[in-house]
Amino acid sequence: MNSHTQIPPGTQILIGNAARRRRAVEAKVFSVFEGWSYEEIIPPMFDYFDVFIKGMGSDLEGRIYRFIDREGNVLALRPEFTSLLAKMAATRLSDYPRPVRLSYSGEVLRFEAPKGGQQREFAQIGIEQYGGSPTTSDVEVLLVCMESFEKLGIPDFQINLGSVDFFGGIFDRIDLPVGEVDELKEALNFKNQTGLERILDRLPFDEHRKKVLRSIPHLTGGPEVLVKARNLVRNDRSRQAIDHLEEIYSIFDGLGLAEHLTIDLGEIRGFDYYSGILFRAYVPGLGFEVANGGRYDGLPAQFGRDTPAVGFSFSLDRLEQIVDEGLGTGEDESRAALATSSFEEARRFRSQGQKVKLCW
Amino acid sequence: MLVIAIAKGRFLKPSLDLLGRAGVRFDEDVASSRKLICDSEDLAFRAILVKPVDIPTYVEYGAADIGIVGRDVLAESRADLLQPLDLGFGHCRIAVAAPKGFRNADETDHPTIRVATKYPSITLEYFNARGIPVEIIPLSGSIELAPLIGLADRIVDLVETGETLKENGMEIVDVIAESAAHLVINRASYQTKRSEIVGMVESLEALV
Repeated sequence: MNSHTQIPPGTQILIGNAARRRRAVEAKVFSVFEGWSYEEIIPPMFDYFDVFIKGMGSDLEGRIYRFIDREGNVLALRPEFTSLLAKMAATRLSDYPRPVRLSYSGEVLRFEAPKGGQQREFAQIGIEQYGGSPTTSDVEVLLVCMESFEKLGIPDFQINLGSVDFFGGIFDRIDLPVGEVDELKEALNFKNQTGLERILDRLPFDEHRKKVLRSIPHLTGGPEVLVKARNLVRNDRSRQAIDHLEEIYSIFDGLGLAEHLTIDLGEIRGFDYYSGILFRAYVPGLGFEVANGGRYDGLPAQFGRDTPAVGFSFSLDRLEQIVDEGLGTGEDESRAALATSSFEEARRFRSQGQKVKLCW
Repeated sequence: MLVIAIAKGRFLKPSLDLLGRAGVRFDEDVASSRKLICDSEDLAFRAILVKPVDIPTYVEYGAADIGIVGRDVLAESRADLLQPLDLGFGHCRIAVAAPKGFRNADETDHPTIRVATKYPSITLEYFNARGIPVEIIPLSGSIELAPLIGLADRIVDLVETGETLKENGMEIVDVIAESAAHLVINRASYQTKRSEIVGMVESLEALV
């Protein structure tokens, strides 16, 4: 018989410095969130399965831990926070004055291969904002992300910023069978120029459209990318996306923070719920993204109230790998007391507000 | 410094040749040295030599920024990597093959056909898409042997000239995909070392 001395794959236990570091990182990030008036919300560990499917799409369906309650409802352990919070914003908090600013921190579960220090159970900390005006709330969320990096003593971070609407505007006008569209999107997602060329060879597109698609993997860099993109696309949705990104970029330029932003119009990954900007944050030395976020205006409406929404989350497991190793590993401040008078002394120290550890 | 993962084996020489033409030269003879890490003279590049199947792992984790790897290995790994360029060497096919005369017979003979391969993911995806139940028999080499001694009904393997298949009395039933050497890039490195990497992609693109 298996004695189950090992914990299940994909779970982990944080002890000592690892646990202290988790709480220290969490506290620092929370202090930034609080500074921007985001209010913590502690949502349930599980909810109805379809709550998550509404936002994440069928792509993630197979990676959700689900179970059935006594009434036969299908429930799911939360695989992310955004759907949960969008539901609350659209229901219980629907009468709150807008914008509503919420923050959260906790574990989520996804049945997928552990990668980059992120297990099947991993910790996210993040914010969501509902009902703000598009540009200011996009900028605010990006700024909170940047300030968190600063607060954690990580000066060297890069955020790549794209827009679902840019490639959405291009794909709206492409009338192809789903399989072909998926193939095209896959080639773009991997910036696979050779593969893209092969697909374009056999598609009946005019030269202009081919030129646009061929350029997408190269539309990454500084503000010049937006100029290039504007000369390339003709549809309104893509052009509005470019205007919007330009506005955001110029605000960060004014703040002296534009060096942290990379425009990446070839970024087409993301949950189905994204509807405007989307971004991912990277730090040198770590092969995986440490934060991601974006706008998802359509999601709250799925729960009964249409309200614009934008947010992001950090992977705490990954942040912990890049913060200063000393963080959260302070001296043990327990005071030793001798056995005979120990209890009395311990009580005296405690009454002075000191932490005591009895050593025998 | 850009860390480049290069596959030991048949890709080693053409990879080094191509990198050399792109101006990436290492100060010693990487191919004949037993060293696993070699730096370029100006310290702008570092080569690490690894087994081909490990390249997607090194690059996905960011232990290497870029790598050169066959599409077959890349597809099998399912690694989430940027993969901008086909590098124009190492062409071959990932194919389903069966003993001669058994092209169609086995699907009706066995309710579940047995397929020997070192590409279980690619194989499963191919047969799943066609609704054919398969039992994967994972092997790491001499795949052609499996049908000959009754271990499997078919194989999914890399075919370069088709000579080995022919000599073992087998033929190609279907080609799943073409494979060639491909340039792959870590997604985070692409953001944090963008100018170096874009420069590298452009100079390789001009050569292939």
